[in-house]
Amino acid sequence: MTSPLLEARELRKGYDDGRIAALRGVSLSIEAGDFVAISGPSGSGKSTLLQLLGGLDTPSEGQVFYRGQALGSAIDLDDYRSTEVGFIFQAFYLLPTLRAIENVQVPMLALRRESSTRAQRAEELLCELGLKERLNHYPHELSAGERQRVAIARALANQPTLLLADEPTGNLDSENSARIMEILIGIQRSRGMTMIIVTHENDIAASAPRHIRIRDGRIESGRCAS
Amino acid sequence: MARSLSFAWFSWKNLWRRKLRTLLTVCGIGMAVGAFVALVGFSRSFEHEWLRMYESSGTDIAVVQKTFLNTSVDEAAGARLMSLSSVAAATPMILNMMDLTPEINALVYGWRADSYEFDGLTLTSGRRFRDGQPEVMLGELLAGNLHKQAGDTLDIQGSRLTIAGVYHGGSALEAGAVIMPLDELQQIASLQGKVTAFHVRLRPVPPGDAPDAYLKNAQAQIEAALPGLRAVPAAQRASNNQIVLLAHAAAWGTSSIALLIGILGIANTMAMSVLERTREIGILRALGWKRWRVMLLIQSEAAALGLVGGVFGIAVGWGSLHLLAWLPRTSSITPPAFSPSLLLQAMGVAVVAGLAAGAIPAWRGAHLLPVEALRHD
Repeated sequence: MTSPLLEARELRKGYDDGRIAALRGVSLSIEAGDFVAISGPSGSGKSTLLQLLGGLDTPSEGQVFYRGQALGSAIDLDDYRSTEVGFIFQAFYLLPTLRAIENVQVPMLALRRESSTRAQRAEELLCELGLKERLNHYPHELSAGERQRVAIARALANQPTLLLADEPTGNLDSENSARIMEILIGIQRSRGMTMIIVTHENDIAASAPRHIRIRDGRIESGRCAS
Repeated sequence: MARSLSFAWFSWKNLWRRKLRTLLTVCGIGMAVGAFVALVGFSRSFEHEWLRMYESSGTDIAVVQKTFLNTSVDEAAGARLMSLSSVAAATPMILNMMDLTPEINALVYGWRADSYEFDGLTLTSGRRFRDGQPEVMLGELLAGNLHKQAGDTLDIQGSRLTIAGVYHGGSALEAGAVIMPLDELQQIASLQGKVTAFHVRLRPVPPGDAPDAYLKNAQAQIEAALPGLRAVPAAQRASNNQIVLLAHAAAWGTSSIALLIGILGIANTMAMSVLERTREIGILRALGWKRWRVMLLIQSEAAALGLVGGVFGIAVGWGSLHLLAWLPRTSSITPPAFSPSLLLQAMGVAVVAGLAAGAIPAWRGAHLLPVEALRHD
């Protein structure tokens, strides 16, 4: 029997010396190629769950397994984030001093790729996302939608297997939200990537074949589309 | 053409985002390195010229008391020295520093008119002084600064002396100095019967003898004949006498304080920079940058500040040394010396200062938890 791509076992996460419980025993399993939406009200623990699945933080109890190996012990978290995971954040988190094409190369600097390869790959990704005319623009010179597309290109830079998006449309208007979701779904399908999106928007959650609802740090429901 | 992002370019962009702060930090470390270059260069030049003075006159050994600044070697010891088999010539001398005008001070040597040390000098005008006469000779650099020539007079400590001649010296210490009869200087300085040191020329090394062993034997012979005095080889004397050691200590002490201030400046800049960029460091960590790579980024910025500050400091130091060489008060002591080793040392000091200053901010930045750093406002 093969291991799932990603598996969480009884994850608990507390803050403020355990006085605040963000997660209260979450277990789930995600297969390669899955597109999963996680939704829930504010403070339900959905972003915390995504951070633990992406190796940005470590659980207070429980463990996350990637291809059957425990994150943080068998797999180094820095290596995991740089090679296996692409992150997309609500606030884009682009580096303000770097141009679009330079921002996309930042994750590649962690892997010591050759400079010409880095630049070429960044250009290809930005062109693919319709930003050919914006390669040398700084983040403050781009619209919100364009910034998120640069962030998507950056997430794809190291060809990860897992794309994790935390409210990727949270700072966008409806037109740009639709465009970004169209891009993300297109990427997931064309590349066969595993994608987990955290959202509080029902229509976005509904677009995912699998939808997990979280409330008060526990999984309330999880369904698979037929 | 796709623009490639290199680690160095990324580092430079981080520094250049706060131009004024970066420039002020570079100025701070530059002034510190400039002080180092000027002061250490000045003291090394002093040592170098001292050695040249011995070499040009052919002095092998200086016979001194253990405390150099106390000029109390008995002049009568000269006769004992001359009786030793290894000694070819022994000449007494006094060294002093005196104010010649309110702006100009100079080294003043007391020599005998028949001293072998005149061998290293060339008269450019006038003649050699005579013992027992109120006469002096001026180095050409000092004569130029004082606007004096042979036949003019010079007042030293209330005594009016005739300038018998002007000479060209082998060392800047001589070119900027006054040389006068030993007995006259003893009288002016109230040092009758006393001298600063004896300079000794040894007989040629006998065939088959090793020069070093011969020198050591001569030292031992002199020290045995003159208890309480030390026989110091010229090269060692040039680098290890109290005046040079004092100059080195003052130079290192002063420049260390300046460097410490420069280091604090870089440390402050890097600490502010890391604090302001907490979220950006979190982004780098979220994208898989390892702690050591984040540390390397911050340290490379600190080292770059040191490096650019070092280049600026060398320019400042170069300018300062030339200013010292131009000012009448200091030009008679030493010329500007700007050796490659001093440049390398200055750059090394600047970069190490940068790295030392950046170490704590770099460690702090690298050890931020990604998720906490991303939450930082």
